[in-house]
Amino acid sequence: MERITCILLITIALGLGSCSSVKEYEKQYINDPEMVLNAKSSERYETNFQVYREGASGANGGKTGGGCGCN
Amino acid sequence: MGKHLLLFALLFTITAFAQGTDTIPATDSTEVVFKKRVLETTEVDILSSYYKQQGIHSAVGGGTGTEELTDATADIIIAIPLNDDNVLTVDAGFSAYTSASSGNINPFFGGNTGASRRYGNFRDDDDDDDDDDDDYGTPYGSPWVASTGASQKDVLTSISGTFSHSSDDRNIVWTANASGSIEYDYHSVGFGAGLAKLFNNKNTEVSVKANAYLDKWKPIYPTELHEYGLYGSDFLTNGYFNGVPVLDQYGEGSSSYLPTAFRPFTNSNRNSYSLSFGFSQVLTQKLQASIFLDVLLQEGLLSTPYQRVYFADRANYYIGKPQYIPVYTSAENKGVYKLADDVERLPGNRFKVPIGLRLNYYANDLHVVRTYYRYYTDDWGLRSHTASVELPVKLGQRFTVYPMYRFYTQKASDHFAPHDKHYSFEKYYTSDHDLSSFDSHQYGGGFSYTDIFQSFRILYFGLKSADIRFSHYERSDSLSSNIITIALKFVQ
Repeated sequence: MERITCILLITIALGLGSCSSVKEYEKQYINDPEMVLNAKSSERYETNFQVYREGASGANGGKTGGGCGCN
Repeated sequence: MGKHLLLFALLFTITAFAQGTDTIPATDSTEVVFKKRVLETTEVDILSSYYKQQGIHSAVGGGTGTEELTDATADIIIAIPLNDDNVLTVDAGFSAYTSASSGNINPFFGGNTGASRRYGNFRDDDDDDDDDDDDYGTPYGSPWVASTGASQKDVLTSISGTFSHSSDDRNIVWTANASGSIEYDYHSVGFGAGLAKLFNNKNTEVSVKANAYLDKWKPIYPTELHEYGLYGSDFLTNGYFNGVPVLDQYGEGSSSYLPTAFRPFTNSNRNSYSLSFGFSQVLTQKLQASIFLDVLLQEGLLSTPYQRVYFADRANYYIGKPQYIPVYTSAENKGVYKLADDVERLPGNRFKVPIGLRLNYYANDLHVVRTYYRYYTDDWGLRSHTASVELPVKLGQRFTVYPMYRFYTQKASDHFAPHDKHYSFEKYYTSDHDLSSFDSHQYGGGFSYTDIFQSFRILYFGLKSADIRFSHYERSDSLSSNIITIALKFVQ
């Protein structure tokens, strides 16, 4: 399973790195507010409780530590 | 796996650089170059949420008991343009919670060390029957009833600041940040720095960020262990336990309870260090993706000092009403609390590696598809997969509705066992079900309003966007919760 995951991720990395360039004037869809690649600000508290109630955290572009999270 | 992920991080960084940097024509020193401000005006975000949860596996109760919790939060985030290139962002907020579980650090109604409303001085008995369950000559408690102890509620206050500087060509962004938070038994100080570089006509972005959090506990222990730590082997005749009957499994009085495994923690620091890599790529005019890889190391006191553990190879002892001993692990138990053998003991360090992928697709002028996947692994043996999808549907130029679904599955930590299933010879143990094996499903949605003209104004600020979202969360071990969040963005 781990090997498959690694192969998949490496394939994705190589694929992303070989993409063609999109011109600025062609980015009207990419610049749509719903297309933002970070979590929305309104997701902040959902991410917090998920960090508290689940063993996993991180890799979402957000906070990576600090605070107890023990209640 | 860790080596593979590090190789992956290097690989995607190299492939990004391989696309080459934009060639910036040399300019004459007298030439005037137009430079757009990074942030035109001050922006203010106001966020608030209300969270409510219930469950049956209280970690404070050693894996059994109510997990009722409510949490109300509010934050204000102010982004201030200092000049064309620099932005200062300040984020301040609080989180006020009430928790039945942490209230049971001292679960007993009565005694010298905790809530003393009932024991000895609560003898209403005015024959209106309002005290029938309370008129009992000894202290008692239950993992299924919230104590009114001081630890039942607390407020987390936090503040952070981030300074960012963008290069003249806007292809390099430096950031530096500092943060602090405080609650009754815990405080945290953090700082960090980051660098993001854009390539390929801003179609590619590579970022790296480092953070350190230096946290400190003020350890609070369950009452029975606190007393044992204070008075040693004589604790049954001193302090809280002086004159309090302790019961064995059969409800008979006993003086044999001795939690010899317990010793107070000598290190109350918890430090976290993280290195985060990010890579994002515009793939087509309607498709873009990003990958996040974090490498996190935690060290110090990673156990929560007030989470009880019960050993299967040790006899059980109780305080309270003996008739409830046979139904101890069910909500029928309204009057007896089992005395802990120890608090949870976890290793002094933890190495975590999460890797996440986002993929967003602009299907058409009405629909956008937002997806996310994460794989997580750590050296406590915990593995997890997370997948989520959000489907924004545009209702005209100003309104959007978005249903969402998130699936999460987790394999338990090596150190987890349920209530009363650990053994005293183990080195590490916890009955915190947040580290158990489970699946979870989260359903929800939201409604957002965007007005680029900011026609609704308050003082000097116009409302640019408003977002309200709700979600319901269900875990396969019976924990469930609901959360509602409101986010408002104002611009000057």
